Amino acid sequence: MIKFFNNKIVSLFISVLFVVGLFLYLGFASVDSLNFVPYLSDFGGLLWRGFLNTILVSMIALFFSLVIGFLLYQISQTKVQIAKDLVFLFSEIVYGTPLLVMIILMVFFIGPALSIEDWPTLGIAGIILYMAPYMKNVFVSSFSTISKDQYMAMDLFGFNSFQRYRYLIFPQVIRALMPPLMNNFSLIIKGSALLSIIGYSELFSIVSVVQSRTFLFVEGYLLLWALYLCITIPLSQFSSWLERKFRT
Amino acid sequence: MKIDIQDLSHVYDVDVLKQLNFQLNDYRSVAIIGASGSGKSTLLRLMSGLEKPTQGQITINDMNVSSKQYKKLIAFVFQNHNLFPHLTLERNISLILEKTRHVNKVEAKKRALEYLKLVHLEDQVNKLPKNVSGGQAQRASIARAFSLNPDIIFMDEPTASLDPFLTYEVLSNVKELREFGKSFVFVSHVISFVKEFADYVIFMDQGKIVEHGKPSILVHPSTNELKRYISYLV
Repeated sequence: MIKFFNNKIVSLFISVLFVVGLFLYLGFASVDSLNFVPYLSDFGGLLWRGFLNTILVSMIALFFSLVIGFLLYQISQTKVQIAKDLVFLFSEIVYGTPLLVMIILMVFFIGPALSIEDWPTLGIAGIILYMAPYMKNVFVSSFSTISKDQYMAMDLFGFNSFQRYRYLIFPQVIRALMPPLMNNFSLIIKGSALLSIIGYSELFSIVSVVQSRTFLFVEGYLLLWALYLCITIPLSQFSSWLERKFRT
Repeated sequence: MKIDIQDLSHVYDVDVLKQLNFQLNDYRSVAIIGASGSGKSTLLRLMSGLEKPTQGQITINDMNVSSKQYKKLIAFVFQNHNLFPHLTLERNISLILEKTRHVNKVEAKKRALEYLKLVHLEDQVNKLPKNVSGGQAQRASIARAFSLNPDIIFMDEPTASLDPFLTYEVLSNVKELREFGKSFVFVSHVISFVKEFADYVIFMDQGKIVEHGKPSILVHPSTNELKRYISYLV
């Protein structure tokens, strides 16, 4: 019997069942009846679009914040003091700024200054700039595990920059890189909900619209929560797979 | 091997090397000895082009040591093997051959296995460095150096982190590989090995070359510094 419950699939299935059951119970306890029908029928298309937009925005933000974070890391490793100081200053400013304020600054301050009026683009740029220093930190902490002697060896054997990262640095740091990276990605996904304040139709904003039309608030939040999990859980599985792949 | 060191100084936080001038011709195996902090490892690193000197110039076999062409002709054995920890012993060698020497994959693997066999590691080729002994890892790193077919091999205290048995194991291996006709520049504290393996010895003290000559200087030192150094070792 114990062996049966210790089976990986069985135990995972029971755990999922338990958690879903618990939250459905809480849902039913908070209102008389749960009604998801309007969300899935009348507003299904809209909700799907919001879901896809959230994924799209998060992916774009993840990609560019990784790229900019990597550039910031590279700059912070150079010997040019002024470049290092600029990275330091930028990072400190970002650490002290709430994401909401960053998005508003991008849309109402930096955007107009650069004559850019596309609010969604500016909002996403706000998330990217906000996340870049955090991404830089991920690189700093994971790359610091590689010794100076190893860099010397790479230099000595004549590996070029791409080869260094692809074959030597990245495979070694991927294990250390993945958990904080996932953490940051989850920050991005959660942060993307703030784009609703500039009217971008991502998941949170769409659910709010449907809630105001149907007055089905609890259902809306439950669905919102479930849909966010639909993004984050596969992603965490993907990162584990990636980690395993690079280890071998 | 032709070594020409002109006006060489190097500074970390303090002066490590002070105004060295040194020329040498036609020796195959040069040992650099001296107490810890005498600057011998720094000199070795500068000669191999791993680090750039604060001042001065080094040419070896008429090549500037910072040139790319020179780097292709040398190999370096680090103090603590310095194998890439995520790669097997075989891959530690074949990856370098494949990516930086443009040897095809099959040939690179074949060559890696061949050189690992030379250092008696044919049973360990698929192990990661952390899963073999320090002596075995150091031997793999020596195999890696030889597999690149360099003209000159630099060795920075290759047995410093090993116990006497593993030291013997590694140094016997190096002696076996002598027949390959390479030139060596190495730092070592093992005087018996220096006497046997080197054909020229440079003794350093406090950032300067104090005495140099054939290995016989170890038996009949002419400076007090070298006399004292040898007396400490015995």
